Amino acid sequence: MKKFLTAIFSIASTTCALAQEAPTSPLEFSGSVDTYFKYDFAKQPGNIATSFATDHNSVSLGMIDLVLKKRTGKASFLGEMSFGPRGQSQSIPTDAAEGSSFHIQNLYINYDFTEKFSMTAGYMGTFIGYEVISPVGNFNYSTSYLFTNGPFQNAGIKATYKFSSRVSLMAGLFNDWNIYRATRGVSSIGAQLMVSPADGWTAYLNFLNGADPAGYGTIEDLTTSYQISKTFKLGLNAANYDSDGNGGYAGIALYPQYAVAAAVTLGLRGEYFKTKDVGAVEGKKYTGVTLTANIKSGGLTFIPEVRLDHSGDKAFLNKDGFSAPNAGQFSLAAVYSF
Amino acid sequence: MKYLFLIGLSVLSLRINAQQKHFSVDDNGKFIYYQIVDSSLVAKDSLISRAKYFINVLNKKAFKIQSVTDSSILANGKTIIDKTVLVSSHPSGEISYKFIFEAREGKCRFWLTNFEYIPYERDRYGNFVLITNFKTPLEKTPDKLSAKEWNDIVERSFAKTEQFGVNFRKFLTADNNKKFRKHAEIIITKKW
Repeated sequence: MKKFLTAIFSIASTTCALAQEAPTSPLEFSGSVDTYFKYDFAKQPGNIATSFATDHNSVSLGMIDLVLKKRTGKASFLGEMSFGPRGQSQSIPTDAAEGSSFHIQNLYINYDFTEKFSMTAGYMGTFIGYEVISPVGNFNYSTSYLFTNGPFQNAGIKATYKFSSRVSLMAGLFNDWNIYRATRGVSSIGAQLMVSPADGWTAYLNFLNGADPAGYGTIEDLTTSYQISKTFKLGLNAANYDSDGNGGYAGIALYPQYAVAAAVTLGLRGEYFKTKDVGAVEGKKYTGVTLTANIKSGGLTFIPEVRLDHSGDKAFLNKDGFSAPNAGQFSLAAVYSF
Repeated sequence: MKYLFLIGLSVLSLRINAQQKHFSVDDNGKFIYYQIVDSSLVAKDSLISRAKYFINVLNKKAFKIQSVTDSSILANGKTIIDKTVLVSSHPSGEISYKFIFEAREGKCRFWLTNFEYIPYERDRYGNFVLITNFKTPLEKTPDKLSAKEWNDIVERSFAKTEQFGVNFRKFLTADNNKKFRKHAEIIITKKW
């Protein structure tokens, strides 16, 4: 570990001396606000156990998200704080004094040693998966099983090298998932290979091995999206996770999106997800189909959505509270980004 | 009454001024920013080398030269458009364009045209990045839902283009002796 870090810093200091000075940017400020209404057809609030939009028959809050960024020469920082259920109790570990939350989504410092090589340290949105916590970064308002079961954020230090505009490689050392402060040391190794085979097509091959919330495990993940034409975009996420002695999961999700007008895009998410067996306990299988529209007017996006999930293992509840193989919900969300 | 008339006149002139802050249109219906520069003090060769220096060195990240002759330069350029929030701002997209420069003895001209816009979106790390490779011509007629936002983009694009035009013009016509005198004034303390 010591040798690895020494090597990284010696490369960094050499390239630092060779690099040219980059300009200073003003303080950037951006953010978003979101709110939603959800109605579960079986009137069971927790029926589809993915992240966020948890309340049934209620106009409820997402979060307010505030982002600050500043660049001075080759150094930059970014701080992103969120307030509200989506950005606090539903996604952030409660790790501060007296049970309060830090509300931090991203907090990191970056240094561009050259135009090709940069290093970043701090707490960052995870590099694994297709969907993210911020509703601005997702097309669908509800989230996939793959997102909910994978990491949300990784604290650590990472180095990125751009071979060209079409290929880059990231490698880093991280704490256990979703934790501000490591509980088992800097215990994870992560890597991401980015390839862009064509204009508008990016593919990320991700790998993370080390401490997770339950034990130690390994994730292999492929996340790709391709803007095939001006109106049609196709996304794909496939992942496999093996956790030592704690099962894991595997799944695939497809995201076709079609712009029917300049301000209106329709999108579908089709997902297959399976939790792995733990000892004698068999894992469960899920399929989900989500039809979503994004209607944009300036910074405002309306997101009406219908979601239908199925599990042969009867993982849901019907109106009477009995196990059922199907669940469905409708939601209408408003997201304003600035 | 007199004051009211003066205020009214000022508002009207401001509005007329504001309306003029917009791209002109060429004979193909494309937005164009066109400038002729009287440069009787600078030779044709110097104009070309100054233009090359401005594009290739001072703005190398924004331009990619396509061709250079002894009297013209053709390049593709791009400019990042910002969105202002309170007193601060963040990038919201970029415009790409064609840049043409032509020089003759005593004068030169340059124009920017083929303006196209690509929006940025915030990524998982909070940075604003390109989300698509498909560009939208700046001349497009916006629909009702996005009209205000699109007009803002066109206005900001014009403001950035105009700023580029002013800087480029200054650089082309600058007094050669003054141009490179960038060092701070030397203070000699022996003298009062």
